[in-house]
Amino acid sequence: MARIGVFICHCGTNIASVVDVEKVAKAAMQMPDVVFATDYKYMCSEPGQAMIKEAIIEQKLDRIVIASCSPRMHELTFRKMLKGTTINPYMLEIANIREQCAWVHTDREKATAKAIGLVQMAVAKVAKNKPLSAGTIPITKKALVIGGGIAGIQAALDIADCGYDVTIVEKEPSIGGHMVMLDKTFPTMDCSACISTPKMVEANAHPNITLKTSCEVEKVSGYVGNFEVTIKEKAKYVNHDLCTGCGLCQTKCPTKVTSEFDQGMSKRSAIYIPFAQAVPSKPVIDANACLKLKDGKCGICEKVCPIGAINYQDEERFTTEQFGAIIVAIGYELVNWEEMYPEYGGGKYEDVITGLQFERLVNASGPTEGHILRPSNGKEPKDVVIIKCVGSRDPKKGKSYCSRACCMASAKHAHQILDKIPNSRVYVFYMDVRTPGKGYEEFYDNTRKDGAQYIRGRVSKIYKEGSKLIVKGEDSLLAKPVTVEADLVILATAMEPASGAYELAGKLGIAVDGDNWITEAHPKLRPVETQTNGIYLCGTCQGPKDIPDTVAQASAAAVKVAALFSHDEMETSPMVSSVDPDKCSGCGFCVDLCPYKAISLVEYAGRDNGRKVTKTVAKVNEGLCQGCGCCNAICRTGCIDLKGFTNEQILKEVDALCL
Amino acid sequence: MSVKKDSSWEPVILAFCCNWCTYTGADTAGLNRMKYPENVRVIRVPCSSRVNPQFILRAFQKGADGVLVCGCHPGDCHYATGNYYTRRRFMLMQRLLEYNGIDPKRFQAKWISGSEAAKFRDTVIKVSAEIKALGPNTKFAEGYYAQNEGGNE
Amino acid sequence: MGNLTKEQIQDRIREEAKKALATGEVSCVVGWTKTRFPDKTKPFFAYTDAECDLLVWNEYCINSTAKYALDDRYPEQKIGLITRGCDSRALNRMLKDNQLKRENLYIIGVVCDGKENPVCDGCQHKNPLTYDVLIGEPVEETINEKRFTEVEAFEKLSADEKYEYWAKQYDKCIHCYACRNACPACNCVECYADQYRVGWQGKAADREQNQVYGLTRVFHVGDRCIECGECERVCPMHLPIMRQTKKMLKDINDLFGNYECGLPDDSKPVLGEYKLEDPDEFM
Repeated sequence: MARIGVFICHCGTNIASVVDVEKVAKAAMQMPDVVFATDYKYMCSEPGQAMIKEAIIEQKLDRIVIASCSPRMHELTFRKMLKGTTINPYMLEIANIREQCAWVHTDREKATAKAIGLVQMAVAKVAKNKPLSAGTIPITKKALVIGGGIAGIQAALDIADCGYDVTIVEKEPSIGGHMVMLDKTFPTMDCSACISTPKMVEANAHPNITLKTSCEVEKVSGYVGNFEVTIKEKAKYVNHDLCTGCGLCQTKCPTKVTSEFDQGMSKRSAIYIPFAQAVPSKPVIDANACLKLKDGKCGICEKVCPIGAINYQDEERFTTEQFGAIIVAIGYELVNWEEMYPEYGGGKYEDVITGLQFERLVNASGPTEGHILRPSNGKEPKDVVIIKCVGSRDPKKGKSYCSRACCMASAKHAHQILDKIPNSRVYVFYMDVRTPGKGYEEFYDNTRKDGAQYIRGRVSKIYKEGSKLIVKGEDSLLAKPVTVEADLVILATAMEPASGAYELAGKLGIAVDGDNWITEAHPKLRPVETQTNGIYLCGTCQGPKDIPDTVAQASAAAVKVAALFSHDEMETSPMVSSVDPDKCSGCGFCVDLCPYKAISLVEYAGRDNGRKVTKTVAKVNEGLCQGCGCCNAICRTGCIDLKGFTNEQILKEVDALCL
Repeated sequence: MSVKKDSSWEPVILAFCCNWCTYTGADTAGLNRMKYPENVRVIRVPCSSRVNPQFILRAFQKGADGVLVCGCHPGDCHYATGNYYTRRRFMLMQRLLEYNGIDPKRFQAKWISGSEAAKFRDTVIKVSAEIKALGPNTKFAEGYYAQNEGGNE
Repeated sequence: MGNLTKEQIQDRIREEAKKALATGEVSCVVGWTKTRFPDKTKPFFAYTDAECDLLVWNEYCINSTAKYALDDRYPEQKIGLITRGCDSRALNRMLKDNQLKRENLYIIGVVCDGKENPVCDGCQHKNPLTYDVLIGEPVEETINEKRFTEVEAFEKLSADEKYEYWAKQYDKCIHCYACRNACPACNCVECYADQYRVGWQGKAADREQNQVYGLTRVFHVGDRCIECGECERVCPMHLPIMRQTKKMLKDINDLFGNYECGLPDDSKPVLGEYKLEDPDEFM
């Protein structure tokens, strides 16, 4: 027999002015298993709590109901209070008679009747409560950062500075991401490489950071504090432990292919360091280009390497490591505009380039040493057209979202052209100019003062006439067609999630939205967390953004990791699902349903027809389970049950409410 | 049924509300001192996907006049995907109940976020008025034989 | 049937059953045998060659063989099953529900031309979908245009008419659970309805408990129903059980696209998955 105590709070006059609290207490005394009921001015106050504790001892209560404000307000307070008593903190139910009764009703009689109903329901539920205890799980104080762009580097540096170990996994041969490709950063126009390369070097030199370039995440299992991650290291064909990065191999390699770093605007060798400031500054061999690896001929790099670091027999390797937290910072890619916009030449005109190609073109270490030249003939362009929203805000052809950074990037490009090429003319076709950000609007204003002509409208066609590109569009403010004879066209192409984002999200058990951007746990209040505990995100993998926002998010994610690592172990919520293996049919429907991949099918020694057999049953990983109860409702047997919200408890509540 | 339809009759309406959105929305309605009828009682569940269709049958069996299931808007689920299952489950439930003679107004589902206190109030007012107009529910309710003297005809 | 007469099929069944037993891997073959009534057969487990010769094939082979596989979920030897299209869908159902292992089954598929069973009129799968050996040439399948006509007609009744109809039906129910025991989708180790202590529903065979059982059952099997009609056939009180499950199937078809269960594909039950673009009526 349960011994239930019911405590009705006046909340000053908040409750008592509408609800007849004494009547509620009196009615509670009549409810099944209730042995004590009283009312008090403030249950949450010191004397209120003392009174409850006293009643627990005197009345030998084994569970209590507190009728007060919302459980979202003081459930934790009262659970903490119970920690010092003979009652388990989970032998408590709150009847919400303030927010959902006193404050929303005026009729005293009806409100009192409802309050009694709510107490009745809580009493019925608490009678079926079971003591629960929070488990603890140890935390491996080592973080994994997936992606070595500016977001990943910043997050890793911040975590490492807190004294925790960090591993950065980067799929390219060097960290740095997109930021090192950029020439200048808006709106301050400081040199992008000059501010990002010191961070790359710092990450490499930091005693707490391990860089794993040419690596990818292969498999992830486990849960917060205890992830087990298998990392695939691609074959580099160069022993980086030996290599000094002298670069001799690079200069002697006879094979030249287009450079990814220069966005296809220059050539690199088959054995290559991606760019001058690469970290690590050591080469890898591109197996698709290398003559030795393809045909078994050549082998020059091996011959010229003074220390014998070349290893053509290198193979991909898999290592498995433990991590306590994971940050996803895999960044973005630009959309394939050639496919989306055949009317812009679809890639057949050399002088139609993307903004990122322009960054390389205008960069002093780029293919033209910083001179803006037409790719087709190497001459300086005079008339330049910039087209914005190529692929963005275009649900029919590209993406429906705004890529956010391109308005400013285009303004920057216009400014750079006007600055570097005397007597040049820049035409910017735009839909809207969006410049929210510190100093952004001023920068855009200055670009227009510099002479950039902003034309509101979209470009419908680009074609070639002689050496000129004819750009046809519409000025929608004048409602007139516009034709520009251009020497160079720069497309502000849309960002899209890095390839493989969807697959990685699948491995991690985190969600992506319809465009494959990684979804945050809450768009406003949990912007750098994913819905899986212990996995965080930052930068453009969550959605298009510029560098300041990316870096801010990276540091935010780092703080979340540092906060997690500041404890040796963490308490898990005991309100998780659990399976009765004897009832479970092992159909596995809950396994697919669980948003957290917390359920798996395991073998279980059971009995069938009087024989000992190995059954397959579902099992909940309590570290992963977040207690949503989604699995409960799909389980026909009812063998999976959420502690704290069991089928039995809810059925009792329903019964009590309908009395 | 023991409930007789007279002027003072008030329906019993159950609302299963998810802890993160609708329950919070209901709390916010209280915080803003919005007013709504007393006849809706909230059962707090972690997620609308926790609600088993059997709970709803049970409610009608025990004499509820209406049942509401409320959760976060699709895409906003605290548990990421729970309410997508809710959506499928209860669209089918509503049709099945209608097929068995229960007015679809007696079983409704609604997405109400934590900030939509007014929507919570409006929903409660509307559902309450609709069910009041329908009168007491005896379908599926216990005690049919007791009321009608005798068992199988 | 197609290229074979009933007698020829019967001979082939006996022959294949013996062959299966001869391998030593199969413990018995489940099929049908004659009874003392000329228009009835009964399910039959053939363990020996002599028993194989008692297997029959005629228009009265009505009982589903598939669910017998569930009587021994962990068999030491394979279970042989004479399997029609409907039985193969039942087996696929139980395979998908993780209740059987394909390697524990030896399936002798027989192309079926319909039995003396009203449900056969709407059959869309005369050919077995899963089998180890097939008897008979596969025939062309027909689409049942009237799959949901009964449901559609019933939907047009008024709410009270519908309720009264069902209430009367459930008044008849005697809580025998024959529908559950015959249903291939009802394959839980322990049925919710037997768990009285949790309090899902009462034991009494009265109207409201029967209603709760009936509707719960629709929800439990509705998105996995293979439309074999066994539930209705075995009901001693002649409740139109299929009319309930088909309602759910119809709604699933209307709301979430074409849906048929028990096919050898990797589709999930409708309530166990979702699409972002599912219709939304709860805004």
